[in-house]
Amino acid sequence: MANVLVVDDEVEVAEVIRRVLERAGYSVTTAHNATAGLDAVARQPPHVVITDVIMPKVHGVELIKILRERYPGIRVIAISGGGSFGPLAYKPDAISTHAYLAAAREAGAEEILTKPFDMTDLIAAIRRLLPN
Amino acid sequence: MERLVSSLRVRLIGVVLVILAALVPPLYLGISAIVREGYAERFVNSLRAYSRLVADELEALDERDFDQRAVALLDSAVLSGQVVFAEIRDGQRTLASSIATAPINVPARDDFHFGDQGDQTYFITHTLNRGDHAVLLRLGFDEVPTIERIAAAERSVLLVLAAFVAASIAVAVWLSWVIARPMVRLQEAAQRVASGDTDTQLHVRSSIREVQELNYHLEHMRRELVGTNVRLSQEIREREVSEQKRLDLERRLLHRERIATIGTLAGGVAHEFNNIMTPILLYSQLALESVPADSALAKDLTRVITAAHRARTLVTRILTFSREMDSQQPTVFPLRAPVEEALALLREIVPANIEIVFNAPAEALPVLGDASLVHQVVINLCTNAYEAMRRNGGRLAVTLAAVENPPESQVSPGCYHVLEVSDTGHGIEPAVLAHVFEPFFTTREVGEGTGLGLSVVHGIVRSMGGVITVHSAVGRGATFRVYLPVPTVQQQETARVASAAS
Repeated sequence: MANVLVVDDEVEVAEVIRRVLERAGYSVTTAHNATAGLDAVARQPPHVVITDVIMPKVHGVELIKILRERYPGIRVIAISGGGSFGPLAYKPDAISTHAYLAAAREAGAEEILTKPFDMTDLIAAIRRLLPN
Repeated sequence: MERLVSSLRVRLIGVVLVILAALVPPLYLGISAIVREGYAERFVNSLRAYSRLVADELEALDERDFDQRAVALLDSAVLSGQVVFAEIRDGQRTLASSIATAPINVPARDDFHFGDQGDQTYFITHTLNRGDHAVLLRLGFDEVPTIERIAAAERSVLLVLAAFVAASIAVAVWLSWVIARPMVRLQEAAQRVASGDTDTQLHVRSSIREVQELNYHLEHMRRELVGTNVRLSQEIREREVSEQKRLDLERRLLHRERIATIGTLAGGVAHEFNNIMTPILLYSQLALESVPADSALAKDLTRVITAAHRARTLVTRILTFSREMDSQQPTVFPLRAPVEEALALLREIVPANIEIVFNAPAEALPVLGDASLVHQVVINLCTNAYEAMRRNGGRLAVTLAAVENPPESQVSPGCYHVLEVSDTGHGIEPAVLAHVFEPFFTTREVGEGTGLGLSVVHGIVRSMGGVITVHSAVGRGATFRVYLPVPTVQQQETARVASAAS
């Protein structure tokens, strides 16, 4: 059974992704920030990490970079709420969706999902990474 | 002014009339008296000589036929035309000319003044020595011809004086006209100037120096007035232009701020909204899998999912809209251009107690992005700076520079083109300094600012791949530095091609 770690500061988002993936037959752990995510990876390295890109403190792009560095075997899916927040408010889409997701892809995310995504899209993305 | 003119002329003529009234009657009386005296003296002298002659002849008469001869002598005297009365008294006897025209009762006196008694006759008495006794000779002379001559002479004097009076009045009238006319002209010209016709020169000919000088000074005043008018209207125009510029700037700032607000709200709402929509959509889809496909619950869940999809489309559209409102193709442009444009606008609104200093190297300092956004960054930073100095005044310095590996911890090493805005204002407290770039964070009163300014600046700088730093201490002013990466040759080429294509 493949292990998936979901990192998202939005608890409900992480929870529903866990439910969807468990239904699809994956073993899922959740974390609500990048540091907790790294701890979870250290305890039990998952096959796939699904991480939100825009998170307080350490954001998703940083997390992806660290994962690539330390755990080259782990596949990564980046998800983003779109829009923007905080000081990045100006030209929102350009920054969050384009710049951040582009940065995430550059850092090593193989799949990109924009919230709110469909269940089928999520499962299709994870199956592309783990086609067993 | 019409009143002054009439009063001036009337006064001049009045003065002349008064002088004439005071002068002419005594003059007339004096001349008349001299004339009368002269005539009377001549008259009296000549008739005395005549009566002496008659007396001498009477003295020389013989005794015989004295009476006859005496009467004949008196008659001849009467016939000579001057004598109207002649008689001789010898004791109780009176010998008189029988042809005398005035056999009047002669008063006892003689040598009266000429013209006395109203009898038009002048009497002279001579005492003659006739041998042993004295005889009185009395002659009366006609005054009328002399009186008529005097009257004629007086009429002549009167005529001459009347001519003199008439001439004086004529001269006075002419003089008053000569003085008053140029003044009336000047007055009319001044009135034209006063009613707005400032272009007509004041040119009144006059031989009176005072009038000439008055004309000169009035003309000088008119030119001053014209100059002042020109200056004033120029000032008004300039003020209108700068007011227009200020309004335009305000409108543009407001527009920018509104777009920034829409962008911020849309972006922030979209992020939250999408996070909320995710569990709604996914839980609905999960639930849909758990119920029979033809159940009523499945239909309801399908409706929830459809609605969620519609919500997702709507958010995408809002994001696209807010992006299109202000998104431009990035171009490579010299940093100096929008900065100078913004400073030109700021100079219009920054009060005089704040000095604006601009320093920039000669190089172009190219940067990649949207020039109008850099314009907004400058406006925002400078507006904050001048707000900080509004009360006490100070110095607002805007500096452009090329910097390599800046000694600032937030800025990664590399080549940057830097925009620095520093002021000598009240500075920023450390607690505030940490939050200045956060949206809706403001130290101003409610209604004075949205608190978006610096977060917008931050967003713009980040969107251009740059970094903004702030250094400040309370009372020591503040310095904002915007580090914009030097565009690569490839970026410059791409931007050039893109701008050529569009």
